Amino acid sequence: MSALLDIRNLSVAFDTDDGLLTAAENVSFSINPGEVVGLVGESGCGKSVTALSLLRLIPMPPGKILSGEVLFDNRDLLRLPASELRTIRGRRISVIFQEPMSALSPLHRIGAQLVETLQLHLDIDHQAAWNNALDWLKKVGIPDPKERMRDYPYQLSGGMLQRVMIAMALMLEPALIIADEPTTALDVTIQAQVLELLRGMKTRESSLLLITHDLGVVWEMCDRVMVMYAAKIVEEGSRDELFNHPAHPYTQALLDSVISLTSRTKRLSSIDGQVPSPLAYPAECRFAARCKYAFDRCRRELPPLYDIAPGRRCACFLSEISNQT
Amino acid sequence: MTPLLQIHNLKTWFPIKRGVFSRTIGHVHAVDGVSLEIARGETVGLVGESGCGKTTLGRTVMGMEPKKAGEIFLEGTPLWPARHKDTLPLRRRVQMIFQDPYSSLNPRMTIQEIVTEGLLQQKLIHPQARAETAKSLLHEVGMEPSILHRYPHEFSGGQRQRISIARAISVRPELVICDEAVSALDVSVRAQVLNLLIDLRASHNLAYLFISHDLGVIRHIANRVVVMYLGVVAETGPASEVLDRPAHPYSRALISAIPVPFGEMRQRIILHGDVPSSANPPSGCRFHTRCPYAIAACAEQIPPLEPIAPGSPRLVACIRKHELRSLPSILA
Repeated sequence: MSALLDIRNLSVAFDTDDGLLTAAENVSFSINPGEVVGLVGESGCGKSVTALSLLRLIPMPPGKILSGEVLFDNRDLLRLPASELRTIRGRRISVIFQEPMSALSPLHRIGAQLVETLQLHLDIDHQAAWNNALDWLKKVGIPDPKERMRDYPYQLSGGMLQRVMIAMALMLEPALIIADEPTTALDVTIQAQVLELLRGMKTRESSLLLITHDLGVVWEMCDRVMVMYAAKIVEEGSRDELFNHPAHPYTQALLDSVISLTSRTKRLSSIDGQVPSPLAYPAECRFAARCKYAFDRCRRELPPLYDIAPGRRCACFLSEISNQT
Repeated sequence: MTPLLQIHNLKTWFPIKRGVFSRTIGHVHAVDGVSLEIARGETVGLVGESGCGKTTLGRTVMGMEPKKAGEIFLEGTPLWPARHKDTLPLRRRVQMIFQDPYSSLNPRMTIQEIVTEGLLQQKLIHPQARAETAKSLLHEVGMEPSILHRYPHEFSGGQRQRISIARAISVRPELVICDEAVSALDVSVRAQVLNLLIDLRASHNLAYLFISHDLGVIRHIANRVVVMYLGVVAETGPASEVLDRPAHPYSRALISAIPVPFGEMRQRIILHGDVPSSANPPSGCRFHTRCPYAIAACAEQIPPLEPIAPGSPRLVACIRKHELRSLPSILA
């Protein structure tokens, strides 16, 4: 099966007063048609920047894409003229942002924003677009959709706005949806509603790239998972493989610090120390200072991302060793 | 024995003002008749979704919001007196840790000034002992003493939260209100800070009112849980029992909605619609508009918070609580 989206060696950095900040470094992965892929990591690891760079949605400057290719429909999105990129944004690849309140225009009614999106990409008249938008608000479970079309974003709750965002992302039936922490700003019961909605989307053939820090959400939603740490992908695998047999010490530690609802341990395991500064990443393994398995080599060189099994990658010297034996 | 903190039928309302003359046209019933007790050294977890009144409850206990009705007692002493002179000794006994470590530390104060300000205000130490005391406080929360003269912006979220904790415990309080104290932190750091809070609870015999929407965290730290919905208590009881076998339909939905890895959840209850406005709460049981088990009587009768069985420490505010006990468990 050929991949829908293929990202190769993507590196993104930001110019700051304190120097060049590395946000993503040599990130490579692909997404297959219909697949739900999770990109997880803690704040500042570069997961959002990676996802937003695919559509060149990061502010440039100060941001800059240092290297890499993003292949989609045999075209490199990073080198496409802006006019062509606009025909892909929204139509073929759409984005659901974390904060719907700041992603929607506060000055335009919900209906107008949905209709604009439709008319921009499809050759339909206002009435047809209006009806189409209304249909989608119904599909994402918004009560009284007719009235809501005439509302401004501030009149809707966070959960309702996120549904509007989802409707907007889905209505052009894109091949790929990038969801950047779509439920982080929502309460758990509302989050459950939104996840249910996104899960229903799986049947619609679209691929989903889900960016989140919540391992529970990843478990419930994703087929395949990539873990990022300090601007690099450190592990990749199918959901079951990665959760049940984490290969990278960081993934293991991350899974250990998840607080279980059922078992009651006396003490939570935590990861000591801190993430190194993105302004000056060390030349060695970036997790070495916090890793309980670190040995000499980890403190000398940066481990590459090893292929450890079909569909499994891990950036740890220990996986190289265990693979050879 | 008198409990350390006793809250009886507490109400905190906020006026809604409109028009040129700021006429009060109604009230947000943020906390609308809540009673609870915390014993010395006990941790009570207060859970619920945004807007349920959990933060307002904490702030009212802290004296940061005026109460509309009801009583708060700290070991029999009513909170909060009107005069500042009388407030000061009580302030020492109740401290607070806030959610956002970025806005709760004064950016113009050094770490030493931050952690010893309360002590000086309370005249518990001599100004000359400032550095010494600050060092030992920082040591207690696992920070280097060398940071004394640095400023909050130089630290990460987790470190700032440790500094907030040092400030809170500096005056040897008896009760600490933790308002979403670990919610803004990443998982790995959250575990560090939770472990610290648990250690300090033992070494200082602290009681916590632990406000959080994260039930995993509550499960880990709390002895008892209070579930709030729209300003009222839906259910309360020992943490393990409430979280494993929630009895109120709202607690069931809330707990089942948490995404957890490894398929711990057997059943998911998806609630429909949004939380109603607390300016105009629904009649009868406040949850009846979203409750999958609501019957006609739920809209008329305000359910009392009663023991689920005679003498049980578990109180549930649901008129159908006995019928609903036979529902299957939501956890695998």
